[in-house]
Amino acid sequence: MTEEQNDNKISELDELKNALAETEKTRDEYLAGWQRAKADFVNYKKDERKHFDDAVKYGIEGIIRDMIGVLDTFDLAIKMLEKEGHMDKGIYLIRSQIEDILKKRGVEKIPVKQGDPFDPGIMEAMAEIESEQSPGTVIEEIEPGYRLYDKIVRASRVIIGKAIGIS
Amino acid sequence: MSKILGIDLGTTNSAVAVIEGGEPKILENVEGNRTTPSIVALSKANERLVGLLAKRQSVTNPKNTIFSVKRLMGRKFSDPEVARDKEWLSYDVQAGAAGGIEVKMGDKFYSPEEISAAILSKLKADAEAKLGEKVDEAVITVPAYFDDSQRQATKNAGEIAGLKVRRIINEPTAAALAYGLNKQKNEKIVVYDFGGGTFDISVLEVGDDVVEVKSTGGDTHLGGDDFDKKIQEYLVDEYKKQEGIDISKDSLALQRLKEAAEKAKHELSTAMETEVNLPFITSDANGPKHFLIKLSRAKLESLVQEYIDHSIQLTKDTVTAAAPKGAGFKISDINEVVLVGGQTRMPAVQEAVKKLFGKDPHQGINPDEVVALGAAVQAGILQGDVKDILLLDVTPLSLSIETYGAVATPMIQKNTTVPTAKTQVFSTAADNQTSVEVHVLQGERPMAADNKTLARFILDGIPPSPRGLPQVEVTFDIDANGILNVSAKDKGTGKTQSVKIEASTNLSKEEVERFTKEAAEHAVEDAKKKELVDARNHAESTIYLAEKSMKDAGDKLPEDVKASITEKLEDLKKAKEGDDASVIQSALDALSTELQKIGQAVYNKDTAAEDNQTNTAENNQDAPNEPGSESH
Repeated sequence: MTEEQNDNKISELDELKNALAETEKTRDEYLAGWQRAKADFVNYKKDERKHFDDAVKYGIEGIIRDMIGVLDTFDLAIKMLEKEGHMDKGIYLIRSQIEDILKKRGVEKIPVKQGDPFDPGIMEAMAEIESEQSPGTVIEEIEPGYRLYDKIVRASRVIIGKAIGIS
Repeated sequence: MSKILGIDLGTTNSAVAVIEGGEPKILENVEGNRTTPSIVALSKANERLVGLLAKRQSVTNPKNTIFSVKRLMGRKFSDPEVARDKEWLSYDVQAGAAGGIEVKMGDKFYSPEEISAAILSKLKADAEAKLGEKVDEAVITVPAYFDDSQRQATKNAGEIAGLKVRRIINEPTAAALAYGLNKQKNEKIVVYDFGGGTFDISVLEVGDDVVEVKSTGGDTHLGGDDFDKKIQEYLVDEYKKQEGIDISKDSLALQRLKEAAEKAKHELSTAMETEVNLPFITSDANGPKHFLIKLSRAKLESLVQEYIDHSIQLTKDTVTAAAPKGAGFKISDINEVVLVGGQTRMPAVQEAVKKLFGKDPHQGINPDEVVALGAAVQAGILQGDVKDILLLDVTPLSLSIETYGAVATPMIQKNTTVPTAKTQVFSTAADNQTSVEVHVLQGERPMAADNKTLARFILDGIPPSPRGLPQVEVTFDIDANGILNVSAKDKGTGKTQSVKIEASTNLSKEEVERFTKEAAEHAVEDAKKKELVDARNHAESTIYLAEKSMKDAGDKLPEDVKASITEKLEDLKKAKEGDDASVIQSALDALSTELQKIGQAVYNKDTAAEDNQTNTAENNQDAPNEPGSESH
C-alpha cells in the first residue's frame, strides 16, 4: 500500500469513526427520550389510577359543598324554631338522616368546641370579640366545618376571643 | 434531571405546573387545591402561615397578614402607586433600605421579596410532595409591564426560596405559549387578562419563536371582586326594598350573602337565571326572615356593564394608541386573542371581546391556570422535554371508510395522536357478493361523497355466501410520519389487499379549517341525510329478513298472516324509495310488528304438534333463536 492510499484509509476511518460517534450520540439522545417518555407514561398510568380513585372519592365534593350549605340553613332554622319553642323531635331526626347520608360518603363534621385554641388548619376566623377566656381561643362556632375523608371541604367558622381592652 | 416548575406568582392566587409526558399539568397543593392564595401571615400564636391557612385567619389578624405583596415588588417607597396602595393595605408599609419598601409582620419588617419567597417556598414544598422528588429550578411569570427592578425582585424571591430561576417570562407570553401561539409566523396577539383584582391587557408580536411585547395597559384595581361587590350591593338594596331590612349591618348575614353573590355570578356563566336563596337570613319582631331573590343574566350584565365597557376601552387604547402608550396597531391587525383570568368565563365579557376584534378568542384552557401551564411549557423547553423529534402529530381530520348507503364510517377520529392503528370487521351487503370496495375517506361529513377520497381498492375472491356472513377485516394504520396504511383481509380465505397513502396528516391549516367549517355548516342537513340513509339501510335489512323468514316458515304460516306481511312489506319497499325518513320509519315499525306474527305462528304450530305427543319437551321450546336467551 502506498502512503497516499494509507492516508486515504486513515481519513476514511476517521470519517467513519466520526459518523459512528455522531450516530451513537443521537442514539443515546433518542434512547433517553424514549425512556423518559416511557417512564412518564408509566407514572401517568399510576397517577391516572390515583386520579380515578380520587375522582370517585372526592368527585362528590361539589354536591357535598352544596349540601353543607343546606345543613347550615337547617341548623339556623332549628335554632330559630327552638327559640320560638315549637320544635318537633322529627325535625332533629331529619337532620340526623342527612348527616348519616353524608357520613356514609366519607363526610365528617370537624369537632370544635368552645375554648379550643384557634387552628387555621381546620378553622376560619370570622370575627374577634373581647372575652375573659384565654385569647386566641374559640368563643363560638358559627358554622361547623366538614371533612371529606382527609380533605377539608369547609373549615369550621368560628369567633375567637381577644383580651379585654386591647384593640 | 429533575423537573423545572412553571410558577404563576399572582397578586391574589398562585399556581404551579410541570411538564409530564410532553403536556403541562397543574400540581395540586397539600390542601388539595389547584391554586394557592398569595398570602403570608404571622399568626397570633407566632406561627408563619402561607396560603389558605393564612387566609383563614386574615379577618382577625389583618395587621400581620400580608396579601397583594406583588403590588409592592421591586417598587420604590416614593412611587405614587405605593402611596395609593398603602392607603388601603391593612398592614404597615414603610421605607426600607435604598428607597425600597418594607412590610411589617409581627415585630419584624420584611422586604416584599422575602414575603414572595415565603409563598414560593410553600409552592416548591407542595410540588415536591406531589412529585415525590426534589425540585430546585423554576420559570416564574410576571406582568408584561414589570420593569427591570420588579423582575429582579421576583428573581430574588425565587433564589431566597431556594429556587434557581431559569427564566422570568411575561404572563401574556406564557398564556400564548400554553395555546401554542409561539409557533405562529408574524402574528399579532392580544392577551386580555381579567383576574380577581387586576385587569391587564398586552399586545404581543410573535415571529420565529420570539415573542415581543408591543404594549401593555389595563387597570391594576379592576377585577372580578368588583363584580362580586356590585352584585352584593344590589342584593342588599333589593332586600331593603322588599323587606325593609338592612342586612349590611349583620356581619354573619353579609358573609352568607357575599358567598351567595359569588356563587350566583358563577352560575350565571352557564344559566340564564339563578335564585339567591338564603333561608333564615335574619329575624325581626315577627319571626324569622328569608332571603329569596331571582337574578337574571341580563340583570347581572347591566350591573357590571360599566366595568366591561371600561375594559374594552382600555383594550382599544392599548392596541391602537401610538407608541409608547399603545402598540399603534389597527384593531383589524390583530390575528389572535387570548383570554386569561376567571372573570373571562362571563359570557358578556367574551362577547364584548369578540365584538371588538370580530373574531373568536382562544379559550378552552382553564383561564385561572393558563399562565402557570404556559410557564411549564417554557420550563419544558428549557428542560428539553418538548423536543421537536418527540412532538407527536395528530390526525387533523377523521379518516373513514365508505359503508353501505354511501355513509362515511369513521375508523380514526380527528385529533387522534399518531402513530395509531384501528381494526374493524365489516361484511357484505348483498347475497353472493364476491368483492368489496374499500373507499378511504378524509373529512368530518357523515356522507362519503362530501368527504375527500384518499384511495380506493377492491378486495375480491370472497366465496359466494349470504350477505353478512363474510368477515372482512379492515385496518387503518398511521405511522409517526403520517403515512396511512389501509389493508383489508377476508378472514375466510386470508386474501389481503392494501394501499399506502403518504402524508395523511399533512394538510394545510386552511384546508383543515375549511373542512371543519363545512362540516359545521352542513351539520343539520347532513344529520337529516344520514338519518334517511340509516332508515333505508335498516329497511333494507328488515325487508331481507322478512322475505327470508317467510320463505323459511313456508307452509307453517297461515295465509292471512302471509298476506298482511306482504302488504306491509310492499309498503316499506315503496316508502324506502321516498326521501322521508319518518315515513320509512313508520312503515318499518309496522312491518317489524307484523313480523313477530311469524314467530307466533311457527311457535304455536310447533307447540300444538308437540303437545299431542309429549308434555316433557318444554325445555327445548324456549325461543331458541333469540339472542340473549340462555341455553339450557
